[in-house]
Amino acid sequence: MSTARDQIFSSVRAALAPLPERTARPVFSKDVAEPHWLATEADSLTLFQKRAEATGTKCFTDMESCAAWLRSQGVRTVYIPAPLTRLAALCSEFCEVTSNYTRARVNEIDAAFTPAAGAIAESGSIILSDESTPDRLAALAPWHHIALVSRAEIHRTIADALAAMPDDPNLIWVTGPSKTADVEGILIQGVHGPGAQACLIV
Amino acid sequence: MAEQKVELFARRLDRGVQQAVHSNSAAGTEKRYTVLGKDYSAPDDLRRLAGQIRQHAIEHLDTYLEQAEQSLKRQGAHVHYAVTAEDACRAVSDILQKAGAKKVVKSKSMISEEIHLNDHLGSVGIESVETDLGEYIIQIDGDHPSHIVKPIIHKNRRDIAKSFEREGLGDYNDDPETITRRARVFMRDKYLQADAGITGANFVSAETGRLVLVTNEGNSRFCLAAPKIHIALVGIEKVIPSDAELAVLLNLLGRSATGQQLTVYTEFINGPARTDRPSGPQEMHVIFVDNQRSQILASDCREILRCIRCGACLNVCPVYRQASGHAYRSVYPGPVGAVLSPLLAGKNFKQLADLPKASSLCGACNEVCPVDIPIPDLLLKLRNRGHEEHAPSPGTPPMGAFAKLASSPMLWRFAMKSNKVMNLVPLEKLPLPYLQPWLKTRTLPEWRGGEFRSWMKDRRKK
Amino acid sequence: MTQSPSRPTGRTVQLMATCLCDAFFDDVAKATVEVLEHAGCEVEFPENQTCCGQPAFNCGDWPASREVMRHTTRVFEGDKPVIVPSGSCAAMLFHGAPLEFEKEKDLPTVQKLASRTWELADFLVNGLGIEKWPGRFPARIAFHRACHTRGTGSGEAALKLLESIDGLEVIPFGEAEQCCGFGGTFSVSFPHVSSSMGCLKLEHMTAANPDFIVSGDMSCLMHLGGLADRGGQPVKTLHFVQILQSALHRHG
Repeated sequence: MSTARDQIFSSVRAALAPLPERTARPVFSKDVAEPHWLATEADSLTLFQKRAEATGTKCFTDMESCAAWLRSQGVRTVYIPAPLTRLAALCSEFCEVTSNYTRARVNEIDAAFTPAAGAIAESGSIILSDESTPDRLAALAPWHHIALVSRAEIHRTIADALAAMPDDPNLIWVTGPSKTADVEGILIQGVHGPGAQACLIV
Repeated sequence: MAEQKVELFARRLDRGVQQAVHSNSAAGTEKRYTVLGKDYSAPDDLRRLAGQIRQHAIEHLDTYLEQAEQSLKRQGAHVHYAVTAEDACRAVSDILQKAGAKKVVKSKSMISEEIHLNDHLGSVGIESVETDLGEYIIQIDGDHPSHIVKPIIHKNRRDIAKSFEREGLGDYNDDPETITRRARVFMRDKYLQADAGITGANFVSAETGRLVLVTNEGNSRFCLAAPKIHIALVGIEKVIPSDAELAVLLNLLGRSATGQQLTVYTEFINGPARTDRPSGPQEMHVIFVDNQRSQILASDCREILRCIRCGACLNVCPVYRQASGHAYRSVYPGPVGAVLSPLLAGKNFKQLADLPKASSLCGACNEVCPVDIPIPDLLLKLRNRGHEEHAPSPGTPPMGAFAKLASSPMLWRFAMKSNKVMNLVPLEKLPLPYLQPWLKTRTLPEWRGGEFRSWMKDRRKK
Repeated sequence: MTQSPSRPTGRTVQLMATCLCDAFFDDVAKATVEVLEHAGCEVEFPENQTCCGQPAFNCGDWPASREVMRHTTRVFEGDKPVIVPSGSCAAMLFHGAPLEFEKEKDLPTVQKLASRTWELADFLVNGLGIEKWPGRFPARIAFHRACHTRGTGSGEAALKLLESIDGLEVIPFGEAEQCCGFGGTFSVSFPHVSSSMGCLKLEHMTAANPDFIVSGDMSCLMHLGGLADRGGQPVKTLHFVQILQSALHRHG
């Protein structure tokens, strides 16, 4: 591979050498791309809820109403990681609860709770990492995904979230349910990932 | 007289397809305009800043590419380089064959279209499934995408329902929701059985080595959730200095492409699985592809390498709306394609040298471009190159006589007056090959050459 | 497209009438002279002027275009503002010409002309500081912001003057950012695409039944007018300067 590498680098250097000057790296303030309405918005928690709802993510602030929603959705099997015993107890009233996510059951588990690594108020995004989400499939394959967002971990802006990215092989910002408009521009939710995206703020 | 190829394609295009392309594109333009206007008081300043960021990055590609390589290696990724499209295809199949991989799921990536990866993988016996709904339909139909972000903008639900029926994905049903559900079920098994996932990358941060991927469907996430090998094909121009620049670029990409502040999934990939983070693919390979990009960098059209593939220029382009994407005979349609495709053709430039002519040079593309690429200027430069290389250009009048006339004031004034004879003859009958296409659909006003000049002279005498 | 921030604003100006006005639209050139004179300008008309060279430039024949542009730079020597009643020809002088001369020795000559060039509305509003136009013009108009004024102050300047005229109403229409389909030689080498674009533009512009279709470029108006005429549904077109002139006459 070293030949290809050398060839590419020498072509790139040869291409750039004749430039009389090169464009300097622009200096910009961190908030340069913030929407102008952001400054007048309320606290980050309220803003997050507003933006999340606007992009199709349901927000719950208590376990009971979250469980009631899953019940109304006809959920049959829910994955809840082991430490969340109270949540598991609430859900076991109406469906099977498992604390073990396995590939063999990918199509059976129709709802999953996974802890989020944070959230972004400006965009209403949930941040998932490999550290917080033990199996990427658990947060993706079920029709209902509920991220557990800690109020202390809500970044106000996209730029804040970028500046605070943890060292993790994979981070994903989830802004609403999986969707497509490929067929005639008609919006359909739940293409590959969750058709119903939610978060439970704890 | 021979016709321009884009003109011919547009003239023969099915009206229904043309109208679908037009309305879908116009809706895209409207959404972009609304969201940018709602969020920013000076969106043009932001576009110019993003343009500078990208221009800086490509003008320091030597530095940033090397830095990106080091960062990726530090994270445990394998880094490969491919000079040509064929090299890139071979690099992918080599990795797969070495690992004994037979089944691959692919997330939408323009560069894999550019290098015709699926054909190559098929030829070496590897099953490669496109997982983006639109791209999957393109694949089963043996078709080509006609838009950068809306690959099946030229198809309607009935076309798709027929394709699904043919492929055994259930009885004929043209309800978009049913189509989507069937794809969901079908893809599930493909993801779970796949040995490897192939993606592109929207950006690569040189400082951290993070690959950034944006999607709405979540298919790229699935390609990285189930399989054990991840291969990312990345054009060398995709590198940016650091994560901080993403604050500008991500904010413009989603809004420009689909009118969203952010797409549903924005993914940052920072290496393969680790012992304490075992969820993702165990192997990560990044293949940096040149395929003419370093030559474009050497040309006076290097600004086109700023492109972040949002498709806003396609949506707004009146010619794209009339002709549709396939008229451009290449992977990248619309204004960006009219610049990029002939350049990517390298030695075969002349075969696509007609594309830069397929524009009224109205400049709407530049006005919406999130990285402020001066597309009309680049189209003009390529027209000049086509002229220099004697590329065929049917319907383009020769300009030598015009230049002589317009450089000789005496001759010019004489022509202005004497052309009044045009008012006396039936123009439609004149054997003037460059006048007749005009007259077929438009009239010409009365010739009044010299009138203003005499008026001006009289006025001075007074 | 950006223009020099320090263009001259003197009241003795050179008029580049444009080849279209020379050949077809003497009314527009006359209106330009009258309007500039009303604004207190003395208008010079260098007789040896021909064309800005844009047809050859757009065809890719830059040597031919440069030949014409070299002639034009000789015709328009000096330091006075050069006023062009066409966004397209003005853009050729201040943007196109420097592009085609990028690698030429006489680039500075072309840049000098570029830095003196004003599109008419831009000059009236941003050069001379005129905010309001006197007189009356009772009509509803649809205004097409000519494409080659994108990124310049011309479109807004023309609208500002038009909207200030007593009795005049500017009506909005759909897909306003779209091109009329003219594009110079594009209109003959892509006649189907060009005409389809024009018909769509006409459809949008005539939807609210304006009395006039107005622009700052006779090329757009020649295209739209010619299409409507051939299609059997003629429309009335006016350059905005004709409205300014007409308003003055009604002013008395």
